[in-house]
Amino acid sequence: MSDDDIQKHIDDIIDASDKEIDRDELEKEFRKFLEYGVPADQTKQTLLKKFSGSLPSSTQERTLIVDVKPNVPSVHLLCRVVSINPKEITVKGEPRKIYYGIFGDESGTIPFTAWKDFNISKGDILDITNAYTKEWQGAAKVNLGDRTRVMKTDESKIPPISFEPREYKLKDLRNGVGSVIVVARVMSLNERTVTVDGKTKIVYSGILADDTAKTQFTAWHDFKLKEGMVVRITGAYVKIWRGIPQVTFDEKASVQKLEASVIKRDDITPQRLLLHELVERNGALDVEVHGVVIEIRQGSGFIFRCPECRRTTLENKCSLHGEVQPLADLRLKLTVDDGTGTISVLVGKELTEQLLSKSFSELKKQYAADANSRFLTDIEKMLFARTVHIKGNALGDDFGITLIPEEIKLFEYDMATESEKLLEELEELV
Amino acid sequence: MMKREPAWRVFAAEFNDTTFELRATEEKTPSYIVTPLGSKINRIFVTGVLTDVENISEEGEYLRAHVSDPTGVFTLYSGQYQPDATSQLQAIEVPSFIAVIGKVRTYIPEEGGLFVSIRPELIREVDSQIRDRWILDTCYQTKQRIIAFREALKMKQPNVYDLRKLGYSKELSEGIITALQHYGPVDISRYVALIRESLQFIIPSQKEVQDIQKPPQHKIVEPKKKKKTEKKPMEDQDALDDTKETIETLVLDVIKKLEGAEGAAWDAIIDHCKKKKITEDQIEEALTSLMDKGFIYEPVLGTIKTT
Repeated sequence: MSDDDIQKHIDDIIDASDKEIDRDELEKEFRKFLEYGVPADQTKQTLLKKFSGSLPSSTQERTLIVDVKPNVPSVHLLCRVVSINPKEITVKGEPRKIYYGIFGDESGTIPFTAWKDFNISKGDILDITNAYTKEWQGAAKVNLGDRTRVMKTDESKIPPISFEPREYKLKDLRNGVGSVIVVARVMSLNERTVTVDGKTKIVYSGILADDTAKTQFTAWHDFKLKEGMVVRITGAYVKIWRGIPQVTFDEKASVQKLEASVIKRDDITPQRLLLHELVERNGALDVEVHGVVIEIRQGSGFIFRCPECRRTTLENKCSLHGEVQPLADLRLKLTVDDGTGTISVLVGKELTEQLLSKSFSELKKQYAADANSRFLTDIEKMLFARTVHIKGNALGDDFGITLIPEEIKLFEYDMATESEKLLEELEELV
Repeated sequence: MMKREPAWRVFAAEFNDTTFELRATEEKTPSYIVTPLGSKINRIFVTGVLTDVENISEEGEYLRAHVSDPTGVFTLYSGQYQPDATSQLQAIEVPSFIAVIGKVRTYIPEEGGLFVSIRPELIREVDSQIRDRWILDTCYQTKQRIIAFREALKMKQPNVYDLRKLGYSKELSEGIITALQHYGPVDISRYVALIRESLQFIIPSQKEVQDIQKPPQHKIVEPKKKKKTEKKPMEDQDALDDTKETIETLVLDVIKKLEGAEGAAWDAIIDHCKKKKITEDQIEEALTSLMDKGFIYEPVLGTIKTT
């Protein structure tokens, strides 16, 4: 290889690197590699990595956002910053500033987190190499870390971003899907007045449903919605509230009234979910689940509440109101598990009465309120290791999922039919 | 946040096939065992027959107990740190149906191998209905694992992401990929057979009887030269097991026909079974095995009743 060629290769490396490189040292290394018979291209790759700690972007094919999978150690993106926000977090006791937001390209949008300041702002067109992806709320999320290289580039590099809203079924709504179209029936509607930036505004909220799920919505504009109306909403956004995606839309969206028969009342049934689906979604409205009661937890049975704030009292003392005349109440805290996931179920007084087929006063007579342990033993006999069928709303928090049932009953197995069916299905496996 | 681990439904045979564990490397992270079929278990829910309880500690309380299901036996160890479970084990009469929720424990003896057991969190006596439903649920979930396993084998490069896309849980998807790496493709027919045998015990129908009327097919097994470490070849084992299971089902049917409210007399059972071309030895063996599995018991000496 001629000296000229070598100098050209060294120029290439220095051009490709975003760090200052000592030319003499680089040349020394380069010649050493050549002596060992390493091909020039490979030498360039190796030395660029060694001297600048990054690979040129050309080494890795660009991934379209729609194709980004979670848990990939290195991806190359060409995208626009759709939104970016700073966030203060604490890492190992040290305060730290990170940035989160949404990237978009011609194929779609994706949430991202930048773990340091890459000095990027909304609207920038970026060529990002060595980003890594993780799973977040059941979808991929891009992370920009120490190894990531971010280069600003210009509009010509990227086709216009399509902000064409895509149509989704309610069960498929996730954080970061960008602008959406949903076709749904308004199940309930209420309005309240809020103050935003000193102005009073009327906000409309309630429940939307299609044949896959129910979700809460918030409308910041009066679209003259009515209960029972079936609508196509174009240009809504997904917001996460208590772990559950909800639909938000304002005057920028358009709402079109459809024939009520598009989604009939009868099409709307609770979603039957396995518990792992409920846990992975971090909650959902109006679900139906089956599971085995594997624990009747502390705080079940007869409890006493403060008449002021409904908090449970201890020895007639409320943590907020001191000495009070407590009210007796009844509830069950169950752990329910179907082998794929596990949730808490909080059964209130009325449903507990129904489940035990006894009224509160009968129960109080039967177990003078001080015999809670005897009462719990009997409840355990009735519920422990048995399968329950539950309908209700499931909310996620830091302790997992709590399901608030609207209906709970012991599930009746049809042993003969079920086992016959299983035997038939086994034949297909052999 | 510490996510609560789900309680797996796994038959003893699959549980005891385990030779691989994922030990937690950091504090406060759970350890798991991974079965050949891809169950990634930290917590387990078992229902079966408590067959024996013994104190194995010189001083103090350290109990070993066995719980059997239609496919095999789970081993439990419970001591002073599980006071509730330990006192339950001492109080419950043997044999009884019990339900156990517990955490998986492993023991690696010096000569290698891996023993899995359960450290109970909660034990309660239950009825036969709960036991039957547990068998059905466990059959169903084992079948789901087999299907998921096959889906993984269909993939060019089996991976967690694509399994989850098919709707399987994170734990199961990870378990199957880990199992493939550690055990390779498992003999699925073994687990299909396990499910089928277990279902025989809870199907309350007469349809089975027609199948059983055919005399069991005895395969003649050529003894093979075995390497030292080689297990008995699976297929021969299966053939023998099949015959055994058929006889047991037959014997159980006879008892159900004879028992009435009082139970069936031992001699009557033997007579009826002999008419079905079963030898006395085979009948005795079947009765012992059925007792171990908790399907029959002897309320009075010489009288057998089903549970």
